[in-house]
Amino acid sequence: MRVGRYSLALDPRPAVSPIYAVLTAVVAILLALALSSFLFLSADANLFGAYRTVFAYAFFTPRGILATLQRAIYLLFCTYAFLVPLRAGLWNIGLPGQVFAGALAAFAVPSLLRAQETAALPLAAAVIVLLMVVAAAAAGGLLGGLAGLLRARLQVNEILVTMMLNSILFWLVSYMIKEGGPFMGATAEGEGFTLPSPLTAPLFRGVPYTAALALGAAILLDLLFAKTALGYRIRAFGENPAAARYGGISPVALPLLVFLLGGAFAGLAGYHAFTAIPGVYKIPGNYGFYGDLSFYGLISALIARGSALGAVPIAVLFAGLSLGARFAQGALRLPFGVDYALLGLLMMTFVASHVFYQFRITWRRVPAEALQPVSTETGGR
Amino acid sequence: MWDLLARSLGASTIFLFAALGELVNQRAGVLNVGLEGLMLFGGTAAFITAQTTGSLALGFLAGLLIGGLLGLAHGLFSITLRGDQVVSGMGLWILSFGLTTYLGNAYTGPLGLARIPSVLGLSPFFLLGFVLVAMTWFLLFRTSLGLAIRSAGENPAAAEASGISVLAIRYLCVTFGGVLAGLSGASYTLSYNPVWNYNFLMGWGFVSLALVFFSMWNPWILMAGASLFGIMWQLSLSPELVLPGVLSRYIWRTVPFAITIPILVIISTPWFRTRWGLAKPEALGRPYTRG
Repeated sequence: MRVGRYSLALDPRPAVSPIYAVLTAVVAILLALALSSFLFLSADANLFGAYRTVFAYAFFTPRGILATLQRAIYLLFCTYAFLVPLRAGLWNIGLPGQVFAGALAAFAVPSLLRAQETAALPLAAAVIVLLMVVAAAAAGGLLGGLAGLLRARLQVNEILVTMMLNSILFWLVSYMIKEGGPFMGATAEGEGFTLPSPLTAPLFRGVPYTAALALGAAILLDLLFAKTALGYRIRAFGENPAAARYGGISPVALPLLVFLLGGAFAGLAGYHAFTAIPGVYKIPGNYGFYGDLSFYGLISALIARGSALGAVPIAVLFAGLSLGARFAQGALRLPFGVDYALLGLLMMTFVASHVFYQFRITWRRVPAEALQPVSTETGGR
Repeated sequence: MWDLLARSLGASTIFLFAALGELVNQRAGVLNVGLEGLMLFGGTAAFITAQTTGSLALGFLAGLLIGGLLGLAHGLFSITLRGDQVVSGMGLWILSFGLTTYLGNAYTGPLGLARIPSVLGLSPFFLLGFVLVAMTWFLLFRTSLGLAIRSAGENPAAAEASGISVLAIRYLCVTFGGVLAGLSGASYTLSYNPVWNYNFLMGWGFVSLALVFFSMWNPWILMAGASLFGIMWQLSLSPELVLPGVLSRYIWRTVPFAITIPILVIISTPWFRTRWGLAKPEALGRPYTRG
């Protein structure tokens, strides 16, 4: 593209320094926050007051901090679920479906063991809780694994498969918890049965133990990608599948593996959302909201550029923002959906920042002779 | 029974419009996985415009316009900036999903305008769909512009060498795809089911995207596929008309999605690919760098 005496070109960046990666992430988030000011135009407060309401609730009230942490754990599991396949160049947008599968599997354990009443637990509570975690991870992993297997064996588009599974699982949850479904609650108001209190996730100072799982997984994942041969293979496959294949990396095993692992994390997110957050402890009627929320995980993995530890502060921030936005909605009488709008804005600024991440924009002065109109006349030497 | 069929064909036009636009931009080599987002935004814009102005025509115009603009945005990112087409498409989808939830929420509920008159219960859009399919087929396979479009999607470097502007062709097609996605969304919110609700599509766009792959990039096969899915979709909404009392209504809702997966698998088998898979545009999803 030429602008006056200068030409504008996009040159691919050969390598991106970590500082530059952090910078693009910070700019993308700040830009989305700045753009979200139009959401606050109709608020009962000035712009500064609106932002203060969002942040003050999420990060500076005891209630808000706990809620932010609980949601951050959920978002982190969702982040890993998207991040692991992304490192292999694959898109797992099946987060909602895998979350629902995890939730259904977790609740299937007490349902099958007939442990819905506290009075008659057939096994020690700790054993049942353990079974629930394992079942949730396995169910999420299987659902993800299906998409991974189809991708690996037949090159079936994983975006379409995971999206179809999202819709299937969404309706399956409705079937299970509504209109006399097997998991319907005693009140029959279109929600699942409430978990007896011994089977809920143990809390330490209000924080469920899943926090430790989420943080531990971040460290393990970063070690996996940075230090192990398997991690190297996944990254190589993600960057250039054809070259990886010539390098002896199996094009079948890897897509399956990353989807199994990613799906298992989403299953854990489902376990966490419905059995570890005080006040929930069941599959609620508005379970679809948790599916929508999982896309914040997708964005934090994208913005963190595949770094699991890097995603931790981003997930905490997004958890606080989405909660604070909901709170501000009530406090400042904003229209519904500020948290959804923020999700959209973040995605937009991420895509924009991606251009600057991939390419260096260079201005070159066009040499004077190139600017001269070229004579088409043959004479006049 | 005729009512059900007529309504099914109405549903099929929603799939058809979106998928036809996507087919054209895929023929030119641009993949837009954010189809559902374009439909959501177009449909929401059409609904809000029609409700505030009281004019269905203005509503449709707004839907087409927003769809076209989003298509153009996808073009800017994936053609000029040579970005990853999946990143941009997913970005458009989540952007639309988030923003329409916020923007449309105040309009939740029925449209409250007179229904678009139907012919024997059949939506006039079905006829429009038929005409569009015929025109698209003619354009793609019987005109020099169609040849230019197909060559931009098969081998852009060769197309460029033969004097075709790949950039211009791709921009044209991706914008056309956006306009048709907008039309699809608008005909959903203004005609098929004129009630706004957050995320009202719930997967229609992704099914449309899958239909393009099923169609082997042929408009006529696409139309047959869209009709089949329209019928299936309508049956999944009201199974009691055919099989009363069998299975929960929620289980029926999963059927169109559950059927999509095995079809995707079948068309991906080596057997199918070697026999019929040649139609896939060779340069689909790959950014083109001139020179």
